[in-house]
Amino acid sequence: MSCLTQDRLWSEAVILEAPKRVLRVQSTRDACLCLKNHWPLADGPAKRSALAACDRVIDGQDEPDAARTAFIKAAEEAKFHVHSWTGE
Amino acid sequence: MVAPEQPLRVGDVMSRPVFTVSPTDTAQSVARLMKETGVGAVPVEAPGVGTILGIVTDRDILSSVVARGLSSSTAVFEFMTVSAQSCEEGDSILLAAQKMHDLRIRRLVVVDEKRQAAGIVSLADITRASPELGGLVLEGLNRPAAVSAQPEGMSQCHA
Repeated sequence: MSCLTQDRLWSEAVILEAPKRVLRVQSTRDACLCLKNHWPLADGPAKRSALAACDRVIDGQDEPDAARTAFIKAAEEAKFHVHSWTGE
Repeated sequence: MVAPEQPLRVGDVMSRPVFTVSPTDTAQSVARLMKETGVGAVPVEAPGVGTILGIVTDRDILSSVVARGLSSSTAVFEFMTVSAQSCEEGDSILLAAQKMHDLRIRRLVVVDEKRQAAGIVSLADITRASPELGGLVLEGLNRPAAVSAQPEGMSQCHA
């Protein structure tokens, strides 16, 4: 993953619910850390895509909401219940 | 002829890189960052500006969020220590140790000329470079607190 000294904030937080867990994520770096260290799925296409999107955003090659959108898709893949203002 | 020994500067002993958070980050996101990086204190900076607004430690999360029964979604600005004490890279470690002793604190945020975080210098950094100065800081930490003094020489931002 990209350098942890950088972060890019999202326009709206994403809240993920699972039994006994609530993750609130509102930045690209934090999304990356959730995917890497606190994710129920070891691997998956949406997870890989979200990690790549986070790297692009932190490198400045994409807008923060691209990482947010990819993160929501990875959360759905992992069967989280997703709460977000603008998510599908 | 032997050249006179240069005093050690803060920049020689401080921890780099520095990981910063924003005031709207949450206790749980700061905890995730601390787990990943292994650091126990992160400066809080104004997003997009980089000015240092305060500092959050792992102890703050335990004592001000977990112990008080607050949600892990509590925003950093609700429990951070505002106006973190700072020093500059070019300061001598004697000056930094004296400040830590006087204020009874374990770490200082190192700022650059733009008042942005360049690193953190901790009691452990000082002790590694100079056990005597580390002892001076410890002596300050162990002395009884003045009745009116704020913890760690800073003002606390309460929820």
